Amino acid sequence: MTGSVGPQTGAAMGRRDIFTFIVGGRAGAGVKKSGATVSNLFSSMKRHVFQMDDYQSLIRGGHNFVATTTSVRRVTSHYMRADLLVALDARSVEVHRDHLAQGGVLVYNSDEVESDELPDGPETIGLPLHSLAKEHPDPELRLGLAGPAALAAVIGLSGEELGRLVETEYKRDLDANRSFAGAVYRAVSEKAGGRFELESGEAELPLLTGNEAIAMGACASGLDVYLAYPMTPASTILHFLAAHADELGVTTMQPESEIAVANLAIGAAAMGARTMVGTSGGGFALMEEAFSLAGMAEVPFLAALSSRPGPSTGVPTYTEQADLSFALNQGHGDFPRVVASPGSVEEGYRLAAELMSLVWELQVQGILLTEKHLSESRATVALDLEDAPDATPRLHDGGEYRRYAFTDDGVSPLVFPPSDELINWSSYEHDEMGMTTEDGFEITAMHDKRNRKLSTLTGRLKKMKTVNRYGDGGPVIATYGSTTLSVLEALRAGGIEATVVQPIYLRPFPVWDLEGLRESRPVVVEQSSTGQFATLLSDKLGVRPTAEIRKYDGRAFDPEDLAAELGDKIG
Amino acid sequence: MRGARPRGEQEIQMAREFITEAENTWCQGCGNFGIMNAMKRAVGLLAERGVPRSHIAMTAGIGCHAKIFDYMALSGVYSLHGRAMATAQGMKLANPSLKVVAFCGDGDAFSEGVAHMMHAAKRNSDITVIVHDNGVYALTTGQRGPTSPRGFRGPSTPDGNNEDPWKPLVLMLEAGATFAARGYCGRVDQLAEIITGAVLHEGFSFVQVLQPSVTFTNRFEEYNRLVKPLEGGPVGFGEALALARQEEPLPAGIFYRSEKQPYEVSVNRGRNPVEDRMSREDRLGALAEILGR
Repeated sequence: MTGSVGPQTGAAMGRRDIFTFIVGGRAGAGVKKSGATVSNLFSSMKRHVFQMDDYQSLIRGGHNFVATTTSVRRVTSHYMRADLLVALDARSVEVHRDHLAQGGVLVYNSDEVESDELPDGPETIGLPLHSLAKEHPDPELRLGLAGPAALAAVIGLSGEELGRLVETEYKRDLDANRSFAGAVYRAVSEKAGGRFELESGEAELPLLTGNEAIAMGACASGLDVYLAYPMTPASTILHFLAAHADELGVTTMQPESEIAVANLAIGAAAMGARTMVGTSGGGFALMEEAFSLAGMAEVPFLAALSSRPGPSTGVPTYTEQADLSFALNQGHGDFPRVVASPGSVEEGYRLAAELMSLVWELQVQGILLTEKHLSESRATVALDLEDAPDATPRLHDGGEYRRYAFTDDGVSPLVFPPSDELINWSSYEHDEMGMTTEDGFEITAMHDKRNRKLSTLTGRLKKMKTVNRYGDGGPVIATYGSTTLSVLEALRAGGIEATVVQPIYLRPFPVWDLEGLRESRPVVVEQSSTGQFATLLSDKLGVRPTAEIRKYDGRAFDPEDLAAELGDKIG
Repeated sequence: MRGARPRGEQEIQMAREFITEAENTWCQGCGNFGIMNAMKRAVGLLAERGVPRSHIAMTAGIGCHAKIFDYMALSGVYSLHGRAMATAQGMKLANPSLKVVAFCGDGDAFSEGVAHMMHAAKRNSDITVIVHDNGVYALTTGQRGPTSPRGFRGPSTPDGNNEDPWKPLVLMLEAGATFAARGYCGRVDQLAEIITGAVLHEGFSFVQVLQPSVTFTNRFEEYNRLVKPLEGGPVGFGEALALARQEEPLPAGIFYRSEKQPYEVSVNRGRNPVEDRMSREDRLGALAEILGR
């Protein structure tokens, strides 16, 4: 898409190698589906896609939008500058008036938007979407289809290609959809048909959200039971597993509260079921006592913790990285735990399996820490399903059985009922048989045993990939979790040469693989107002950053904005 | 303990094997001994009825009652205050071939854990919950609990409890328990039969056990006078509720029993999660299919 001229109007196309589509409207107008359909279309053109859904904590009304960016090379963020912006209502024009790229086109609902409300500058095309939709049933819901129809027009798809897209994605009420889409397509084609030429890529890649990848990764490693209480942005793990429970052999249950979730999970794991729970900050707070129980009783426990802005109820449907220190320190008392955060959707899959495997191998407690931006965003993925270790516990192989038998590495072999052995898991401090103790020597010995597991865990991590590094040379940028996606795209957007250091594992913190980070005086990028990640780097490595870039307005970074800030800080 | 019924060989052996080496720290004469003896006997009865000890798992909450976990040689999970019935449901969910029994205190069950009690009954989870109802938080030195009478004096209510008590069986019946019974720790044989019936029942079984605390709420004489065995076995729902509300006499027996599909059958979709695990090959195959769509 460099420098060539569009066939219809002679307007020059952008020099960027990306194309961004944004569709906005009220909740209930089919905005989410509109964005997803466009992503599916881009993916079917063998292009890479990153789709970000912005939605509010309501069911109808308000403002929703989807920003989808596509390229023939890997793209790891949406951009907030649209080449095509479809505004289904007046509020969308208002909210997105500054979100058009150079040469971008705004298609708006002229039934709701007055021409004096339009931004100056961009090319605008008004269509009476309500009037067009009213000819069919459910007019409000149909509005969203204007997105893919307008998109088809501006990228020069033929009417037949649009028809096929509608048949695949908007099957219900097909005739009405064809008619509505056709009307929008024709109107937009007249003014801006074929304005943007999008080349096909090399391979068609599947699209996944972070939560779907996490759910799938856990399944790959042997998930038997998933328990969750609905809480944004973790609920879609529950929905995915409930929808695929039979195919994947996973018992999926929604109990009465997060406390029930955590305690049922402990009972299930103690009987040998590979179990995972999922929640957000407030829900995980409710699980704190049970997390500590898992630590004392040495129950394999894995939680997916997907963050939103806090504290407390916070901003339920937006994104933030302010639960880091909470995740690292969850649960009263001394016991080893493992915390890791994926920096991509693919990594979400692998890490879910890897953490499940670790918690079962070592009978420790694990947290897969992520945030809304990864959980709910959708990206094309190159996924190796085999890259997921199996979760296999150490089993007792005969002789006298003691549930908490002392071993060199602190891990005691397991037996699950039904059995003639006496198997006691306990929340109290206990002896090797699991019997309650108040004896000083026994208390010390059991504490030491659990601490030996920490050494064993650290030893395991040293043989695994615990840090990602991108780039080679130049200034260093340190980040983690979903912000990694934004940083990598910012470097591409700004043509910036830098090395990105992304710790995947956060506890135990991989100091052995981060030598040199202190000396490099990195720029630290994160979504926490107090710089929790920078604090961790300082505590563990003595890092004093060159600069810190913190965004905490509930939104992920825009790559071009971040590139400008990085440019400033790196100099 | 009133004996009288002759015991089988298996039962006697089981009773001998049953106590662990843990030092027993219940007060002398504690009602908990009666419950433990009844459970020991029930394990023997269950073995005779085809449920081997290997297939029985237990949980306990936190309190004097919960020490039964250390004293009884049954596998299980020593849980948290108010959470044993949640732990128990997780255990049953994972391996529905097991019979799971949760021992709870009255505060455990009807204060801290009341939501779990209500929902376990609501979903008809196939566990048995035995509540050691002594009307006090004994282990933490005597505070009032949800079944303590108004006026009860304890360290947190020195001027007398300012709330009225619940009647546990009323709550459990209304919440949907498909097996509801009351026992008395002073009548071990009857309690053993009740517990056996509760464990064999497929669905949520609730057993309230009147269990005086010799130290804090010594109501043995009162209960010996008031507790009368229920003549004629389980009754209809309305009658069962009336029995549950009755204060004098206090009926002991199985009040109510009905048949309804246990929760674990439907949520597990007929599978046993730990026994019917999918192979890695099948799992990855299913994932590939989902990804390909």
